[in-house]
Amino acid sequence: MRAGRELDLLQLTAGLVLACSVVTLWRRDLRALVAVLALQGGALGTLAALLAVQHGDLGLGIVAGVVFVAKGFVIPSLLARVVRRDPGSRETAPLVNVPASLVGAGALVIVSYLSAGRLTSLFPSPATRLAPLGLATVLVGFFLLVSRRKAVSQIVGLLLVDNGIALVAFLLTAGVPLLVELGASLDVLLIVVVLQVLATSMRSRFGHVDLDQLRELHD
Amino acid sequence: MSEVAFLIGLGAASAAALLGAALPARLRVLCAGLLSSAACVCVLLAAGRVLVSGHAWNAHSSEVLPLTGVSLSLDPLSAVFVATAAAVGLAASCYTIGYSAHSTPSRAATALFPVFLASLFLVPAGASVATFMVAWELMALTSLLLLLSEHRRRKESQEAAQWYASMTHVGAAAILLGLLLLATHANGQTFVAMAAHRSRLPIVLRSVIFLLTLVGFASKAGAVPLHVWLPRAHPEAPSPVSALMSGAMVNLGIYGIIRVGEDLLGGGVLWWWLLVVAIGVISAFFGALHAAASTDLKRLLAYSTVDNMGLVLIGVGAAGSLAVGGERLLAALALLASLFHLVNHALFKGSLFLSAGAVQQATGTRDLDQLGGLARRLPLTAALFGLGALSVSALPGLNGFASEWLLLEALLHGFADHAGATVVSLLVGVAALAITGGLTAAAFVKALGVGFLGQPRTPGATSAREVAPSMLAGMGLLAAVCIVLGVAPGVLLPALRRATASGLAVGAPSPLRPGLGLDLASLNGAIEPALVVAGLLGALVLTWTLIRLLARRDELHQARSAEAWGCGRELQTARMEVTATSFAEPLRRVFVDVLRPDHDIEVTHVAESRFFPQAIRYQHRIDDGLERVLYRPVISAISAWGRLARRVPNGSVHRYLAFGLVALVIILVVLA
Repeated sequence: MRAGRELDLLQLTAGLVLACSVVTLWRRDLRALVAVLALQGGALGTLAALLAVQHGDLGLGIVAGVVFVAKGFVIPSLLARVVRRDPGSRETAPLVNVPASLVGAGALVIVSYLSAGRLTSLFPSPATRLAPLGLATVLVGFFLLVSRRKAVSQIVGLLLVDNGIALVAFLLTAGVPLLVELGASLDVLLIVVVLQVLATSMRSRFGHVDLDQLRELHD
Repeated sequence: MSEVAFLIGLGAASAAALLGAALPARLRVLCAGLLSSAACVCVLLAAGRVLVSGHAWNAHSSEVLPLTGVSLSLDPLSAVFVATAAAVGLAASCYTIGYSAHSTPSRAATALFPVFLASLFLVPAGASVATFMVAWELMALTSLLLLLSEHRRRKESQEAAQWYASMTHVGAAAILLGLLLLATHANGQTFVAMAAHRSRLPIVLRSVIFLLTLVGFASKAGAVPLHVWLPRAHPEAPSPVSALMSGAMVNLGIYGIIRVGEDLLGGGVLWWWLLVVAIGVISAFFGALHAAASTDLKRLLAYSTVDNMGLVLIGVGAAGSLAVGGERLLAALALLASLFHLVNHALFKGSLFLSAGAVQQATGTRDLDQLGGLARRLPLTAALFGLGALSVSALPGLNGFASEWLLLEALLHGFADHAGATVVSLLVGVAALAITGGLTAAAFVKALGVGFLGQPRTPGATSAREVAPSMLAGMGLLAAVCIVLGVAPGVLLPALRRATASGLAVGAPSPLRPGLGLDLASLNGAIEPALVVAGLLGALVLTWTLIRLLARRDELHQARSAEAWGCGRELQTARMEVTATSFAEPLRRVFVDVLRPDHDIEVTHVAESRFFPQAIRYQHRIDDGLERVLYRPVISAISAWGRLARRVPNGSVHRYLAFGLVALVIILVVLA
């Protein structure tokens, strides 16, 4: 009974991670995007904590704490500062419109379920059966990168990819070593800071943060 | 003993490279030149010892190259190529000292020259696929960089380098593919292991390997239709490098064909060698014809290289096909003749390229139509060029004659008791030998007559001065060996016989009787060049004496003296002389379908009337017809593909990201 509830919670949090990434495709308001990202980070941290309890692993517990703080609070608050510089900014004209994006996301989820069979068969367990959700999060994040114009959306897309990779790692291997996870989190933090600086300087230089305008740099 | 000398030679070359890179301007040219010469002498001694004793050596070091180690081996066949490269290298190194004093070359060029030399020694000595290919690529890269060393002064060298780089890379890729295929199936990458395994491979596989390596080696040897880089690269390189490329580097293509075809693949089947003969015949004819039509001195020499490599290929192909047919004696004779011709070609072509460099340095041009009258201004260079020209035209008393005579004998004896394809190919080979002999003579009469005799056509040619003694020493060395081998070819034949024996898969009996001249032991045929020379000289002296004795004294004194080539006219200007273009005109008309010359006449009229031309500009150019037919379509297809591909990356970050996403999804779907 207790094991069943743990599994339910695991499925709930993993599902929440994927749902959040699909929501990023739906919402155009950049503030909402950041809020959804924070929610996803929190869900990921919770999932890690659940796994830590399940395995009784202290190292994984610490990793869960780091993930919860970094992905649920620190990175979203950094992004929120970028968004606050120009309030009311929206993803007005995405390269792929919202309904089509949602259909695309559905297709990507199907692709990841179809292709993850080999991955889950490596080490069959209830947790690994959720791995396609992580794969789908990676693909949806990538899709966000491809289809959105604003720099903030791009950062969010990159973080979705990273969250997806983390989700797959947690589910397949019951957590990565503490050191690796710390390194990865620091890398992501660094990327966010760099992109934040880049977005800020783009705005001051060109008056907008639309990546499509960079095409003019092509020879 | 021999291996020690070889390694000392390599060490000296490395030291030359280091000093060439480190020392200040004047000193580095002298030091690098002297050390390179020393390296060549050591390597020449090493190769000579192997050739005299007939004992091969092997050396292996696992420290130098990771994973595979370096395997070196010098058997008599390799030693012939190493010795040839060392002889030409010695002359060229000596020559660089004077050549570079004029305009000091860059550090890189000075340092790369000894490295190029060392690579020329290492390629024939390489005894495993890894060693061979590393040396081969080293040779390609260093020669490419040396070709580019004068790129600031001459824009043409950049285009030449592009052609050379692409051809040599395609060739090297084909060779690598072939040798790797062989190594995989023979369970070992040393040549010994591969040769031991040769009879167990299916013939189809062996044919594929032979064809792949043939593409690479034939392209390096400048065989038509893979020759296009050669008439561009050899003229544009600095002259000592041209001499090395034409005298030593192209030979290694022939080495590769013999080594892989005979040694590693065991002789194979008849059609391989008929193909080689066919390539040789086409190359010989095409090269000789373009040489006869060229007006650029070094381009003429480069096309003559294509011609001579064609002759060598005819010999190699004949040897291969006769060996397959069981004619071991004739096969040995044909291979010996082609190796002899290869050595001779290296000697006289090296000397000719060095002389052409001297002409270019003294006059500032190598266009024959702007030279003339150099025999009086550069007497020694002219004499040395003349010797080389006589030798390449295969006149008796010089080495070119000896080897072409042997080659002709081998082909003619091959007719006797054979039938079918071999005889036809030998017959065509004889015909090619005959026609190229005539065309080559025409080409060099033109080069010598227009370039060195008559009156100077430009101020550059008028003010020419004799070149530095070290340059003359370099040319003279090669010319002296040409005379020695021409008068007494027998001195080299025992060494070449050993090389032939190690080159032919079926083994080779001795086709020649020892002696100073050429004497085909069991086949009928012998010639004693020394006697021919003695007879000719005797006749010359006799004629001169008779004229002196018989003519009355006053008649001799009454003779009017007029300018040479002046047809007795008193007033003769340079504009009245035959130019290289006009000399070649009859040949160009006869072979118009092969040469396809481009004419371009531009008439500018006086503004008032169309009936009075103000200026007429006539332009005439001979392009390589094969290049136009075979290479232009490929080049335009590649650039069209390139233009198409340039549309794909349009600068949009999103498009690049989409490539990533699509690739990821495709990989996931494929792997699932």
